[in-house]
Amino acid sequence: MKVTIHIWDLPHRLFHWLLAVSVAASYITATIGGALIDWHGRLGIFILGLLVFRILWGFMGSTHSRFSTFFPTFSRLTAYLKGSWQGIGHNPLGALSVIALLGTVAIQVGTGLFANDDIAFEGPFFDFVDKSFSNKLTSWHSTTFYVLLAFVVLHIVAIVFYRWVKKTNLVTPMLTGKKEIPVVLAESIAPLPDKGFNALRFILSLIISCTVVWGVSGGLSQLSPAQAAQQTAPPPSSF
Amino acid sequence: MKKKLTLAILLAATGTAAIAGPVEEQIRFRQSAYSFAAWNVQKIKSQVVDHPETFNKDSVAAAANAIAAVANSGLGALYGEGTDQGIGWKQTRLKPEFFQKKAEVTVAANTFNEAANELAKVAATGDVNLIKTQFGKVGESCKGCHDLIRIKE
Repeated sequence: MKVTIHIWDLPHRLFHWLLAVSVAASYITATIGGALIDWHGRLGIFILGLLVFRILWGFMGSTHSRFSTFFPTFSRLTAYLKGSWQGIGHNPLGALSVIALLGTVAIQVGTGLFANDDIAFEGPFFDFVDKSFSNKLTSWHSTTFYVLLAFVVLHIVAIVFYRWVKKTNLVTPMLTGKKEIPVVLAESIAPLPDKGFNALRFILSLIISCTVVWGVSGGLSQLSPAQAAQQTAPPPSSF
Repeated sequence: MKKKLTLAILLAATGTAAIAGPVEEQIRFRQSAYSFAAWNVQKIKSQVVDHPETFNKDSVAAAANAIAAVANSGLGALYGEGTDQGIGWKQTRLKPEFFQKKAEVTVAANTFNEAANELAKVAATGDVNLIKTQFGKVGESCKGCHDLIRIKE
């Protein structure tokens, strides 16, 4: 006997797939370069928005999106390793993977904000650091990408492993939000505080994320009147 | 005898200096050339991509000509043997593989030259959209060499 439960709410799923697509697009735009480097920068700021949203949603989302529900505490990890862990959301090992992926993406966004490509691109916070430090951060930005790639590969390998070895489909729940679990499991685990989707909390998270995106992409500086008066660049100096 | 030895040492020292000098000079000149190009790239980026409302045809054309002049100046002459090591304005970032990848470097360098000359041509027309597209191609051609032979800091 199986029952269907709601596991991942819609904002959670949207976050997941938008992040996947944005990270892939960031890689492509950075590799091609040229005019696309500006899109790489825009994608980076969009990903920052996604991250801010995910963190807020980790406190305001529905049950299985909340960090407190799945945070890999020591007792949860040891229980998992002993085989006595039971649950339906992220298991403690999966939770570590979530933290590794989000953390690495955060490093990429953080370094990217200060980066430059020595051609025609400067991150929005480039002016806050000196050039040599920006170069250093740019270098970390390109190296950390391989760490992120490794975590993404591990993530996908784990999904394939669950599909073929443990006979568990992890992809469909991330698309539909629904998961089938044995009644026995549903009855045996301690009932979680049922925090369903809350539209007000969603709107609040969205507003905060959008404000961060707007601020980082230069919204603040556009408010100052000095910037508002744009003039035509002067002709080349005569000497 | 002692005098001859001193002279020999002096000559040897001067000789070494003469070899070291050009290496560092080459590095310094090429760093200067790219810095100068970067200044002009910035001007075009600002007037064509970031703030097109500030576009000034003459300013952009002058910048494009400057980049083309750098590209056409025969920068290859500044990549002599041993210039993968040394300090110009600062430590060079040239990868030692440069000297094994001459064929690929030539292709990448020619791509840059062609793109820069085309940009100068397009800039003369004053057509912002054309300039923008070609400016992107110049950026790609810069990246071509950076990815190939430049050390990440």
